[in-house]
Amino acid sequence: MITKTMAFLFAIFLLLPFVAEAKVYIDLAAPQAKKLPIAIQDFKPLVDTLRSDIRFSGLFNIIEKDAYLEDAALSGLTEDKIEFRLWRAIGADTLIKGGFSIEKDKLVVEVRLFDSVTEKQVLGKKYIGSLANPRRVMHYFADNLYEELTGRKGIFTTRIMFVSNRDGNKEIYVADYDGRNALKVTRNKSINLSPQWSPDGKKALYVSYKRGWPSLFQLDLTNGQDSAVSAKPGINIGGRYSPDGTRVALTLSGDKSPELYTLDLSTLEYRRLTDNYGIDVSPAWSPDSSRIAYVSDVAGNPHIFMLELATGAARRLTFEGRYNSSPAWSPDGSKIAFSRSDSGRFNIWVMNADGGGATQLTFDGNDRSPSWSPDGRYLIYSSTAKGVSALRVMRSDGTGSMKVETGTGNEKSPVWSPYLQ
Amino acid sequence: MKRLFAIIPVLALSVTLIHGCGGKKAVNDDISGKATEAEPQAQDSAVVVPENAPISEAVTSEDLYGPAKTGGKYASLTPGDTLTLQAEKEGRLYTIYFDYDTYFIRDADKDNLSNNAKWLSLNSRVAVRIEGHADERGETEYNLALSDKRARSVKKFLEDMGVKAERLDAISFGEEKPAVPGHDEEAWAKNRRAEFMITRTN
Repeated sequence: MITKTMAFLFAIFLLLPFVAEAKVYIDLAAPQAKKLPIAIQDFKPLVDTLRSDIRFSGLFNIIEKDAYLEDAALSGLTEDKIEFRLWRAIGADTLIKGGFSIEKDKLVVEVRLFDSVTEKQVLGKKYIGSLANPRRVMHYFADNLYEELTGRKGIFTTRIMFVSNRDGNKEIYVADYDGRNALKVTRNKSINLSPQWSPDGKKALYVSYKRGWPSLFQLDLTNGQDSAVSAKPGINIGGRYSPDGTRVALTLSGDKSPELYTLDLSTLEYRRLTDNYGIDVSPAWSPDSSRIAYVSDVAGNPHIFMLELATGAARRLTFEGRYNSSPAWSPDGSKIAFSRSDSGRFNIWVMNADGGGATQLTFDGNDRSPSWSPDGRYLIYSSTAKGVSALRVMRSDGTGSMKVETGTGNEKSPVWSPYLQ
Repeated sequence: MKRLFAIIPVLALSVTLIHGCGGKKAVNDDISGKATEAEPQAQDSAVVVPENAPISEAVTSEDLYGPAKTGGKYASLTPGDTLTLQAEKEGRLYTIYFDYDTYFIRDADKDNLSNNAKWLSLNSRVAVRIEGHADERGETEYNLALSDKRARSVKKFLEDMGVKAERLDAISFGEEKPAVPGHDEEAWAKNRRAEFMITRTN
């Protein structure tokens, strides 16, 4: 008898991983997917970070603490110690519980996610992290949680880079995706603009006036090494790494008009891409490196064009609006986000990569410079009110817009990092 | 058999089915939120959260030496030196203004620009830097290109009037250095401009 029971249990155990994987908590592909109700135990001070990550994801409906029937802090951390019926009663299909301790200079955090319907634990993690940055441990759990529930990698440990003039000069800053832990990475007290992440997230391209005129520099974020990439007479602006990081697309004016070029970072050879009397700026590589979207005024005012690198053929993508700028390719290559103005007031738009299906995402009238999160689900952009610019994030359908609190003030030109190690 | 029994509670982690089968030890929690883990239930082994990838500030000499060079060919992020101010005050070098999103010299400005050319011919040792600017409404990079075009339009006009190219230098500041603050057409009109800075007098 015992043997039979054992064999039965063992068989079930072997099957379980497959059974467990079959449950899809959040189907990202489903349009208008229902938000997953979740309760979160209040384990201060760490929980605020987790709560804001979860809220930001837009995939959950966080049930407020006032509704909790069970004292989450008093009840156990394991499924046999939790009165799941009390959580089901308030509609909390899922429940996060956690606790932490401090061991020497380390922060030890345990977090678990329970399914209160099946009364089972879905995810349990113990983390050992730095006390210096406790938020990071919670971002890390948020990534794990997101991946467990959606099957997709989370973006909560990614970063943003932007320009701020908080100390009187425009300098480049790096911060966590939520704007926290902002750190100034240039201190040359000239004007620094247009930061860009390298595909591996370890370097930054930026435009600086530190030699007196707008030139392109590369900063190694891991060791602070800084070097000029392009410092020709005229403007050297808008540098964007190719998806494999070997080339940079940029605008040079030299002795003529601002034209697009690519610069091979190993051979240092320039290749000219456009040749006209007008302005060609803001190149954006397609994820497969075959095309570059850019802004040109050859049609009279700024519009977005697409250039096939193999043939050099350019095609106009936008026909509406008086001013179209800042094209940004979605990570899957299907969409291009951009900013558009009809009368001096800019809003964020998105269109298909062929120029069709243009959709307006923001309506405030002062929104620019969209940049995609590496999973393509979110956009960060700058938004100006009364002459002061701030960063905002939203879902890529335009919903859930919220301010990014960097604490630096007057922030512009945000760019979202790739996934970071 | 006993050995198998011992394995199951450890392995079959989140299986509520086998509640009671194994001698699972509970986790002790206290109110402060500290979890003293005895034998975790569905515990992956502890994950050491890697520190943030280090972010370093730029450390090259260029970056440490503070303000960009002033004076000379590609001077000054702090314009308005005495000579330039004097020349402007005496009406010798006019600032040239532009319409929104354009870089051609307006007819209304051609007299002023011709006067600048004449003054430069009379003061043949003077070299100037033409600084192109845009108002705040456009996009940063487009504005840099637009200001570059504005400065070059002015430079080309002066060259066509006979001023030698080597006495003229053009630089673009985009929307980065407005002449006046303010966020209305009155301010913007004053900020869409090409200014003259004297960089050499002999």
